Amino acid sequence: MKTTRVVIAGVGGQGTLLATRLIAETAIKQGLQVRIGETYGMAQRGGPVMGHIQIGEAYSPQIRPGEADALLGFEIAEATRRGVTYLKQGGLAIVNSKKLPPVEVISGMRKYPEEGELVKLLKKVSSKVAVFDATKLAEKAGDPIATNMVMLGALAASGVLPFGQDEIMATMKESIPTRFLELNMKAFKLGAEALKKSKGLLTFLPRA
Amino acid sequence: MSNPVTMDKPGETVLLMGNEAIVRGALEAGIRIAASYPGTPASEIGNTLAEIAKETGIHFEWSTNEKVAFEVVYGASMCNQRGLVPMKHVGLNVALDIMEMAALRGVKGGLVFVSADDPSQHSSGQEQDQRWLAKQNCIPVLEPSDPQDAKDFTIHAFELSERHKQPVMLRTVTRVSHMRSNVKLGELKKLNREAKFDFEQFSYVVAGFDKMFYGREKEANEKIARMMAEFDSSPLNKLVMTGKEKVGVIATGQTYNYVMDALVKLGAKEKVAVLKLGTSNPLPEGPITKLLKGVNKILVTEEPDPFVELHVKALAKDANPKVELYGRIGGKLPAEGELMPYMVDGVIAEMLGQKPEGNPRAEVEKEAKDLIFGRMLTVCAGCPHRPSIYALKRAVKAVKGDIHKVVMNGDIGCYGLAWAPPMSYEDTYFCMGASLGVSQGMSQVGIDTIAWIGDGTFFHAAIPALMNAVQTKTNIKVVVADNGVTAMTGFQPNPQSGKMATGEATKSVSIEAIAKAVGVEHVEVTDAYDTKATEAAFKRMLKTEGVAMVISRRICATEAIRQMRPKRPVPYEVDESKCVGCKLCLTTFGCPGLNFDEDKKKASIDPTICMGCGVCAQVCNVGCIHRRDE
Ligand SMILES: Cc1ncc(C[n+]2csc(CCOP(=O)(O)OP(=O)(O)O)c2C)c(N)n1
Ligand code: SF4
Ligand code: SF4
Ligand code: SF4
Repeated sequence: MKTTRVVIAGVGGQGTLLATRLIAETAIKQGLQVRIGETYGMAQRGGPVMGHIQIGEAYSPQIRPGEADALLGFEIAEATRRGVTYLKQGGLAIVNSKKLPPVEVISGMRKYPEEGELVKLLKKVSSKVAVFDATKLAEKAGDPIATNMVMLGALAASGVLPFGQDEIMATMKESIPTRFLELNMKAFKLGAEALKKSKGLLTFLPRA
Repeated sequence: MSNPVTMDKPGETVLLMGNEAIVRGALEAGIRIAASYPGTPASEIGNTLAEIAKETGIHFEWSTNEKVAFEVVYGASMCNQRGLVPMKHVGLNVALDIMEMAALRGVKGGLVFVSADDPSQHSSGQEQDQRWLAKQNCIPVLEPSDPQDAKDFTIHAFELSERHKQPVMLRTVTRVSHMRSNVKLGELKKLNREAKFDFEQFSYVVAGFDKMFYGREKEANEKIARMMAEFDSSPLNKLVMTGKEKVGVIATGQTYNYVMDALVKLGAKEKVAVLKLGTSNPLPEGPITKLLKGVNKILVTEEPDPFVELHVKALAKDANPKVELYGRIGGKLPAEGELMPYMVDGVIAEMLGQKPEGNPRAEVEKEAKDLIFGRMLTVCAGCPHRPSIYALKRAVKAVKGDIHKVVMNGDIGCYGLAWAPPMSYEDTYFCMGASLGVSQGMSQVGIDTIAWIGDGTFFHAAIPALMNAVQTKTNIKVVVADNGVTAMTGFQPNPQSGKMATGEATKSVSIEAIAKAVGVEHVEVTDAYDTKATEAAFKRMLKTEGVAMVISRRICATEAIRQMRPKRPVPYEVDESKCVGCKLCLTTFGCPGLNFDEDKKKASIDPTICMGCGVCAQVCNVGCIHRRDE
């Protein structure tokens, strides 16, 4: 089996870790080997968070530069930073257009880069870049906190993973407390729909 | 879903983080007790123990510091119980005194301590390689490569410790601590041993006879010699060699993963002999010598110091003086920091006469660096430390005229991020509790100082220094940034939290009572969210002669939100019609919940980030910030 490699990028508090875990647990239930490397040293304080998921034969918890099949970017600047390093030529980038300005921007030391420039840079490594407002979709599902499930839904629908939406949803049912399940499922499905709608015109997904 | 760490299903494969796998291993080894002090990348070991302690009937505590944790477990070990002491690498510096004694006097019940090292300093002030401390003290070191190893090596470590009556270091690096992967579970074990102290043997007594001491050094050396012989054929070390290879690799701990990936990538599995090294102290000289004799070139991979490499170099002198040694010493790999997969690809390619690829993305990474900010760390939205610093800066300016009339000595914790803009107020930052000590030295030579310390760090290491200041009549000002928990490492309780690791209620130790008891006369407590009152308290402190303290108190905002979940606090908002666009809230306070719309020239608040603390409303002179429901 070919090894599947996905990089997840975001900022502390965006729920990237849960998304990563659901993918890994699903893989294990399918009898697959997984390796996850996570960098979240200072996540609590608005620091960058990154997860590397590898399903299939892989020893190292880190993906090498230029070898990720997909990038799941929860915040557009973080997505671009990680994408240019890890996404392979022709790999799929699924990017939330959400901007979380860091203290350099808030305190006026630097400007937040234009979305167009970020996407341009990302496209230097792959033309398959899908940008959409996942946070807005999560709000539509009931709470912006569910952005992670919108992103997960989009990844599940992309066909990059060796399993599909149903398998991930089964894991969600087992691991997410009942009172949050409906919200998360709704968000997951909205994410999956958004990606499917974009088939063929992958550059920009419809804005929710 | 049931917790995989305590799942009673031997043979089942589950997803575990390296740190969780260590706990599972300890449960399969039948521990009776564990004690720890939080610190990244070790914290999840303790967090997991706290979660499962009641269910499994073991004692787990977050001790006041690492030395206490080690002593607690050593006490139980003397009474024939197995115990685990996990800590962050630098925690071992604090526990060193007792670790050395335990190594010299020996243990009874298996004692395993974890040094979670942090090469490349993902979340530490230094990348100290703690294997040297183990070597210096005749302590064996086991280095797992992944979560499965982490579990299995922990069981080995207990068995080894008990058989040789020596403490054992299980040494992880961040990449193993935080790696998640498949782990096949074994059987949970309960030893149910009677707790018994051996009065007859006098094993632990410090007698005044020097013969006795020397005897102990000899014993420790003999233990290491016995272990060395045993490690030659230990399953923790695996040599894969056909005898036809010209190139060999000694792959230590986690770096084994990079080596194996490199061999797959380079299609070189048959061309390279690999020793997977799990015991870096004492080194298994048998397989290493065999490898040295069989190849022309040898690479040692390890993190971060050339600890194994140095020893291999010495062995090569006798075994194969002509062998070409690749590693950190000769500069083929960097002298410090973690290794990256592409670095290992590169050296092995070079050894095989292939062209190394390097980092294919170096150029576009540079472009990204120019375009994208670094994302500096800062304290959370609503964090009580931000208004404390804001008020302190204002008070110092008002009383002293200039913030640089005082050296602001920071300490370890979230509040250590006081250097982050726009607060940017912190001049030094060392190790737990150091702010109080260095402040006194500066003060003794005539420099005004402030020691800025958190509640967790105060309990961990600052009380002796505070007594020192009182005894020496030193003029220091102490601010305790008291947020009720040890936040930076994951909100663990500390002595004043009023609860134990398991959540069970207990007495709360009062910081102000301690300060007063040791003789600090000026002690004030303020609410960090009330910037005016806090500033006034700081001013009074600065004007007081001698030791003076202000405790700026308010629960950590993130912990507060955790406690009220799933409810969220009511966010604040900016009244756009009133905002004059002066940016004062951003440039002097800079909560991450705030933002500025350059087109409208108005400030705004992101309701998904805002924690509803209301402090920015006190910072704005115009009065245009208010609660959404008001
Ligand atoms: C010797 C040692 N042990 C553990 C740590 C890990 N560590 C980093 S910050 C911190 C304490 C933070 O607690 P507190 O002083 O209450 O500050 P807060 O983060 O809550 O603001 C700890 C224990 C360390 N740096 N050094
Ligand atoms: S975790 Fe708590 S103490 Fe630490 S920065 Fe966030 S709010 Fe402040
Ligand atoms: S300080 Fe007040 S007036 Fe000035 S930008 Fe901020 S909200 Fe607007
Ligand atoms: S009220 Fe103001 S200072 Fe407090 S969290 Fe919200 S934006 Fe930040």
